[in-house]
Amino acid sequence: MASKFIALPKGVSEKTFEAAIAEFGSILGQDSVLVTAEQLAPYIKTMMPVPDADHAPSAALLATTVEQIQQIVGVCNQYKVPIWMISTGRNFGYGSAAPAERGQVVLDLKRMNRILEVDPDLCFALVEPGVTYKQLYDYIQEHKYPLWLSCPAPSAIAGPTGNTLDRGVGYTPYGEHFLFACGMEVVLANGEVLRTGMGSLPKSNTWQVFKWGYGPYLDGIFTQSNYGIVTKFGFWLMPAPPAFKPFVIQYEHEDDIVEIVETIRPLRISGVIPNAIVIAHALYEAPTKAKRNDYVTGTGAITDDAVRQIMKDHKLGAWNVYAALYGTQEQIDVNWKIVTDAFSKSGKAKILTEQEAADDPAFQYRAALMRGDMTLKEFSLYNWRGGGGSMWFAPVSQARGSETLKQMAMTKRILGKYGLDYSGEFIVGMRDMHHIVDVLYDKTDPAMTKAAFQCFDELLTEFSNEGYGTYRVNTAFMDKVAHTYGPVQRHVHKTLKKALDPNGILAPGKSGIR
Amino acid sequence: MQALKAVWAVPALILTAFVVIGNVLSIAGATSQEAHGPGFQWKDGSEVYAKVCAFCHEAKVGPTIRGRGLAPAYITFIVRHGNRAMPSFRAGEIDDESLARVAEYVSKAAANQ
Ligand SMILES: Cc1cc2nc3c(=O)[nH]c(=O)nc-3n(C[C@H](O)[C@H](O)[C@H](O)COP(=O)(O)OP(=O)(O)OC[C@H]3O[C@@H](n4cnc5c(N)ncnc54)[C@H](O)[C@@H]3O)c2cc1C
Repeated sequence: MASKFIALPKGVSEKTFEAAIAEFGSILGQDSVLVTAEQLAPYIKTMMPVPDADHAPSAALLATTVEQIQQIVGVCNQYKVPIWMISTGRNFGYGSAAPAERGQVVLDLKRMNRILEVDPDLCFALVEPGVTYKQLYDYIQEHKYPLWLSCPAPSAIAGPTGNTLDRGVGYTPYGEHFLFACGMEVVLANGEVLRTGMGSLPKSNTWQVFKWGYGPYLDGIFTQSNYGIVTKFGFWLMPAPPAFKPFVIQYEHEDDIVEIVETIRPLRISGVIPNAIVIAHALYEAPTKAKRNDYVTGTGAITDDAVRQIMKDHKLGAWNVYAALYGTQEQIDVNWKIVTDAFSKSGKAKILTEQEAADDPAFQYRAALMRGDMTLKEFSLYNWRGGGGSMWFAPVSQARGSETLKQMAMTKRILGKYGLDYSGEFIVGMRDMHHIVDVLYDKTDPAMTKAAFQCFDELLTEFSNEGYGTYRVNTAFMDKVAHTYGPVQRHVHKTLKKALDPNGILAPGKSGIR
Repeated sequence: MQALKAVWAVPALILTAFVVIGNVLSIAGATSQEAHGPGFQWKDGSEVYAKVCAFCHEAKVGPTIRGRGLAPAYITFIVRHGNRAMPSFRAGEIDDESLARVAEYVSKAAANQ
């Protein structure tokens, strides 16, 4: 007999699952328990080069309150049904809204979307997981608060809770998001509710202003993890500066990355350039203005000559450094002189400000991101290859010129072997750089999809052989990356898992932990 | 509170040595911050369009969709399933009713409104 369900959790019989679903229905109401193929369709689409069926959920639960979530984990423990938590569920290139393993039940917190507090004096926000950046942005505008957000590139549809829990990044001075997180409420696997930091203290009003609390700092163990369900999330907002000066510095050659990083590191570490900067390769920016088909025929990676032609036709550098200055006009003037003096030394840099670049679509969206505005322009990347395939390859590099050059060359070589382009950038850090490469491929092309899988696997292997770890990865490769960090870390993760979630009901497989 | 009891009946409550635990009952009750009322809801189709669709479909990222007389059923299908690089949208983000309204809006709208 055909199953009622499109998938079942591992090791759970249909009868048991049916009983669990009935209980979820009585907690949430039948309308908020999704089980049909049609209802679950939006959870199934991923950008990864594996069959979507491998990550198909068995059900999705639309919870709106902490009490419902406490009851849900009770049912999960009773029936040994695993849940996969999402907040806004826009983890594109890392697994989207689909669970790590086939058959897990998605606990979708998108409808838990109240902005609980925005404090314009202390500059913080406390939100529920389903709040999007756009919702918060509109709220701040409506209240005329002089506050800025820091958002990842898909700002308009993603949200601060999910992004920060996955240790995502943005482009303002608050761009390393977890640094600016302050206080969480977490439903634990046994149904208890933990407020981290100062939030554990009854009547405390310092939950969102002091990160550390008392005793071991716990917030970190709820990021990139499966130790709890975050139901409230506090974080700091940047006061809107009186003046803002975005700029781009272009360099002509790929090996100029050495000079760029050597020049920018001291400026970043000393705070002259305060924001999470981007050093974007021509191929990361090209899709906002150029079509790949106009420059490439046949299969295989784009040639260096074609890239140079794109640079010429579309006013791009081989590297394009986006950064900004923030503060009073006087502060900006002083720092602008320091920046331009530093970058002018070798005579290789072309420095452009809003005056020259205001109409450039790449500059426009980069400037928007550096002031925490809403945009989805970076989705242009998906018009490059077409077909909706994408994985973020995200190794961490020292902010040292020779290291970034080495990582770029390794990545480009391995991608080229599989006929894929280097759409890469180095972002964020002071002492580190997140090396972010969009491994773009056409998911409707089976051969290219297979190549993309093998390529990604090889990238991870070769990089870990060189001692380079990745900071975040899609759900198809989480075990592999966990393995690269060695057995002791895995053992500690597992020990914590056993203590906090003995039945393994919370997101088994997240970061390779089960 | 009936179902909460079931939660506490779960075996293996071996947590306490590790974490500082908030009192579940005090948290279940309303805090001052929670007095803000219900969460976000879409007002109408044009709001959904402006706050979601337009970021790609009016920004030369996705194709133009207004002014083409696209059938509402087709729009609804693509929104729920996604299409190549276009992401799918869940009921949690856009409930069926709001989706129907934005589909109707897009279907009837002129190209450059
Ligand atoms: C073109 C493009 C550009 C991108 N640029 C960036 C960028 O600049 N910076 C960046 O960081 N990312 C970027 N991304 C990746 C991704 O889309 C964003 O990180 C996005 O913010 C993640 O989705 P979300 O915010 O909806 O989080 P979610 O998908 O809701 O959550 C992410 C993960 O966190 C965990 N989680 C979520 N909620 C909970 C919870 N309540 N309790 C416990 N665990 C939870 C889950 O493991 C979940 O999979 C980009 C993607 C694309 C397509």
